[in-house]
Amino acid sequence: MAEFFQALLRHSFLQHALLAGLLASLSCGIVGTYVVTRRITYLAGGIAHCVLGGMGFARYMQVVHGWAFLDPLLGAVLAALAAAIVIGWINIHARERIDTVISAFWGMGMATGILFISKTPGYGEDMMAYLFGNILLVTRHDLFFIGGLDLFIAAIALLFHKQFVAVCFDEEFARLRGIHAKLFYFLMLAITALTVVLLVSIVGIVMVIVLLTLPAAIAGRFCQRMGSMMALATVICAGLTSTGLALSYKPELPAGAVIIVLAGLVYLVTVILKRT
Amino acid sequence: MNSPHPIQISNLDFSYGAVHVLEEASLTIAEKEFVCMVGPNGGGKTTLLKLMLGLLEPQTGTVSIFGKSPIAGRKWIGYLPQHANLDARFPVTALDVVLMGRLGKTRAFGPYTRADRTAAHDMLNRVGLDKLEKRPLATLSGGQRQRVLIARALVSEPRLLLLDEPTASLDDYVERELYDLLLELNKELTVVVVTHDIGFVSSYVDKVVCVNRKVRIHPTSEIDENIIHDMYGEHIHMVRHDQEHRHG
Repeated sequence: MAEFFQALLRHSFLQHALLAGLLASLSCGIVGTYVVTRRITYLAGGIAHCVLGGMGFARYMQVVHGWAFLDPLLGAVLAALAAAIVIGWINIHARERIDTVISAFWGMGMATGILFISKTPGYGEDMMAYLFGNILLVTRHDLFFIGGLDLFIAAIALLFHKQFVAVCFDEEFARLRGIHAKLFYFLMLAITALTVVLLVSIVGIVMVIVLLTLPAAIAGRFCQRMGSMMALATVICAGLTSTGLALSYKPELPAGAVIIVLAGLVYLVTVILKRT
Repeated sequence: MNSPHPIQISNLDFSYGAVHVLEEASLTIAEKEFVCMVGPNGGGKTTLLKLMLGLLEPQTGTVSIFGKSPIAGRKWIGYLPQHANLDARFPVTALDVVLMGRLGKTRAFGPYTRADRTAAHDMLNRVGLDKLEKRPLATLSGGQRQRVLIARALVSEPRLLLLDEPTASLDDYVERELYDLLLELNKELTVVVVTHDIGFVSSYVDKVVCVNRKVRIHPTSEIDENIIHDMYGEHIHMVRHDQEHRHG
């Protein structure tokens, strides 16, 4: 641990990593609480895996066709939002089994990403970073991106918290009170998609769903209101990412994986110690 | 001219695909009536409520709520859905739930206003739960939760109250308390209650609406075993109640 703190003072990449984790925690706490209480964890997982398609496509266009503007992060944002809209629309309108639909998107998103990356010369190592995250590669530019998205998500949640809570708790009643329930459902999916993108840069696509939901799930065992659950989930998420980063430093372990294992352990301990 | 009735349904047909749920249903409910809707499961009671709320649209016929379409008129309706649909462990307090009834009346952006909080508090007071307003929903009993949801329906200051099986899963004593509350509320607004439990309710209401594909209306005095037999078939036990809870 001590070595981590010494290194933290010297290396800007570690400062960026720590800051990225702390910034992302705000969105993670807020949106994770909606996801957990509305029970759309699986839907969020589907959105996360579609992100690989967007990142792979963007990287391919950048490298092969010279579209410099199409940053993989931008590709991730677009893919996540598109997935949220399409899966959300099918969930509301089509008479399909939603878990089957989500699984289809889950797999197709991954497959599309793999296809594009396989045709992108010399960028196979990108895929590892996309799938499993690499918090140590977070740049100054990424931090502004994460901070900006963070502010946007927090502002949306602050403005419409009462509508989101009502739609999560009892969608039909919210609609009868004149709330545009579909609009708020999609808005909720959209900020979920954006949060997924934020967290992907920290823990990667495969593990993002754990970081999105477990802090909120842990907080839910101690909190009786949405607001306090969000605040505690934010603190827990910040604690997990920072501790995971610090623990991974000396043994040179992948930070994302350490954060996830830590989150899982804390969750299991609270489940065992505090049965509700 | 008289003001329009809270509920006016004429010649309404509704089917889910090929399944006819309601046929030629007509129903008028007047201001400040206390009406009970009964009928077998699958007979169309909840469908009829959803038509009144504009959640479903009839194939033919019309529904008007205070002279407006259901979607325009639903702002005057306080609605209590069937209890089973809600997640009792959802992290909200009693007051939070009641506040949701202020949606549509309160401002669009930001948190609820002080006026909303006052209204929600007063309504919890009215249903006898003001001391429990900070309690999480999960820690309340079935009867207390039902009162919270009734307060949520009332806090929007409705002129018509629609309650879908408010007493399912409540014990008799809580049920009686609930109906006494409804009777009290009925002094100010129109009340429609969907229930299985006609024997008990008939001592409170003005009118019984039987829904079993057809809609038939009976004044309470007509309720006897023949009608109930007609609606439900033969395996019905009737319990007679005295009339002590009728309007004074």
